[in-house]
Amino acid sequence: MSPAFLYFLETVLNGLMAGIMYSLVALGFVLIFKASGIFNFAQGVMALFAALTLVGLQTGQVPFSHLINAVFGTQIHHWGSGLHAIVAIGGTMAIMVAMAFVIERYVLKYLVNQEPIILFMATIGLAYFLEGLGDLMWGSDVKALDVGVPTGGSFWWEDVTREWAVEGSDYFGMYIDKLDVTATIVALALVIALSVFSQYTKMGRALRAVADDHQAALSVGISLRTIWIIVWSISGFVALVAGIMWGAKSGVQFSLSLIALKALPVLILGGFTSIPGAIVGGLIIGVGEKLAELYIGPLVGGAIENWFAYMLALAFLLFRPQGLFGEKIIERV
Amino acid sequence: MSMAAVASAPAPAARQGSADVVLNIEHVSLAFGGVKALTDVSFDIRAGEIRAIIGPNGAGKTSMLNVINGFYHPQEGTITFKGQKRAQMKPHDAAMQGIARTFQNIALFHGMSTLDNIMTGRGTLMKRNIFWQALWSGPAEREEIAHREAVEKIIDFLEIEHIRKVPVGRLPYGLQKRVELGRALAMEPSLLLLDEPMAGMNLEEKEDMSRFILDVNQQFGTTIALIEHDMGVVMDLSDRVVVLDYGKKIADGTPDAVRANQAVIDAYLGVPHD
Repeated sequence: MSPAFLYFLETVLNGLMAGIMYSLVALGFVLIFKASGIFNFAQGVMALFAALTLVGLQTGQVPFSHLINAVFGTQIHHWGSGLHAIVAIGGTMAIMVAMAFVIERYVLKYLVNQEPIILFMATIGLAYFLEGLGDLMWGSDVKALDVGVPTGGSFWWEDVTREWAVEGSDYFGMYIDKLDVTATIVALALVIALSVFSQYTKMGRALRAVADDHQAALSVGISLRTIWIIVWSISGFVALVAGIMWGAKSGVQFSLSLIALKALPVLILGGFTSIPGAIVGGLIIGVGEKLAELYIGPLVGGAIENWFAYMLALAFLLFRPQGLFGEKIIERV
Repeated sequence: MSMAAVASAPAPAARQGSADVVLNIEHVSLAFGGVKALTDVSFDIRAGEIRAIIGPNGAGKTSMLNVINGFYHPQEGTITFKGQKRAQMKPHDAAMQGIARTFQNIALFHGMSTLDNIMTGRGTLMKRNIFWQALWSGPAEREEIAHREAVEKIIDFLEIEHIRKVPVGRLPYGLQKRVELGRALAMEPSLLLLDEPMAGMNLEEKEDMSRFILDVNQQFGTTIALIEHDMGVVMDLSDRVVVLDYGKKIADGTPDAVRANQAVIDAYLGVPHD
């Protein structure tokens, strides 16, 4: 194979895996939108908050330590050497579930039967609240997250692909990040698990039922309250997974919450209501922006990657507003 | 919906005599702001009977059903269900206690198949918690299969085998009504509320639906309260009829007695104003 073709392959492959990372965030949006019609602006911040909490628990940080030190003049910062990664992940998940309870109890409960835009505004408030809470609890410095997910380029793949190049070319093999591969496997597992759960269990049916018709759902004995707590817990879990992957890739810091913006074009492409759509949309965006950067970038001075996704989304809004897999009539936010 | 339930179903003749009250409504009043939907309405529903609620448009029939299954909370009056006087109740609690219903303007889950729609009705009877379900193995799987069998029996009963896998949004109106009945039946209710089960149906569909309602009542002994506008259907199906007009009860009795009642005739035909 010629080096040019191998470059193309490498770009596509990396694009696919970058796309999976976007999909991970988009998944959380889809879950909540499907079950409650709420576009959850706080999804990105939830991922940030989950990652911050995970690092905090893992390194044994004392929550609110800055606040405590400022008020009482103490010098506390750590309570020990921290928790094992698995225990810390479990602890973070417990906190995300607790958060789902609090959100239902103090936010959603009062907004039943309100316009979607009102609920959307509430999630904007929630996003700023969580952002502040995360800073206050764990501090605003950039943290490294290491839960044992492999990182760095794969030498094995480099060696394999070097053999593919034509004899005598100076091709050095493809670069693939092990983290991206892990993220791909995790995302696929997550999608399969969520699909099976929503297709074949009582709770999954109840989720779909609530999304379809509140009144009918109530009449067959489904409690909206329980369903909402479960949905927000699940999307808390997805936020945690996204937080782990993105945190391991680029450190845990405020900009993590902005990945939510990249999820928007993914949702517009895939449709707001489709779990497979979130995955396919992510893949298209990932591959599209990498290819555009490689082939169109040089013509217009580069940096296409930053806006290509939004352009693609705009084109989709013009010609297929429900997305590739979305239901025909859906509301836009 | 078990075989035992079928065997123990009371004979049709015995139904009339049964004075076992399932639901007792006493002096219920419901208002929305200044609009009075129901005023001091009292009646009861006995075990095993088909109780019709009739009345002109806007008489408060659907409001009455909404009060019974907890969508609305009356300002005054008491409701006693299965011997228990109840406090304010949420609809899903009513469902848990065995009150199932269908809606005037079909409320199905349109994106889901017939099978899944009816399966949602089994929700109150399924006991395994979310962690077992997430694993979908062992007890949760066995439970799912057992309930699936029960649902298949209902599908057979309603003769809708051919649309088991079809998303209900694509079905014609008459079939959707039938699926909705199936979903309510899947709950194995002790009280089944039907809000205009035959509205918008043609003659043949009405006959089918009447047959299903009678079969449910006679084979499974299910107590039914139904709202219907087709007087022929009401007179044929029901054991007792309660008549509402402008939110007040104006008559209560057997179909023949109600048909002869002057107040009812006036409500339906209008009274000359002089």
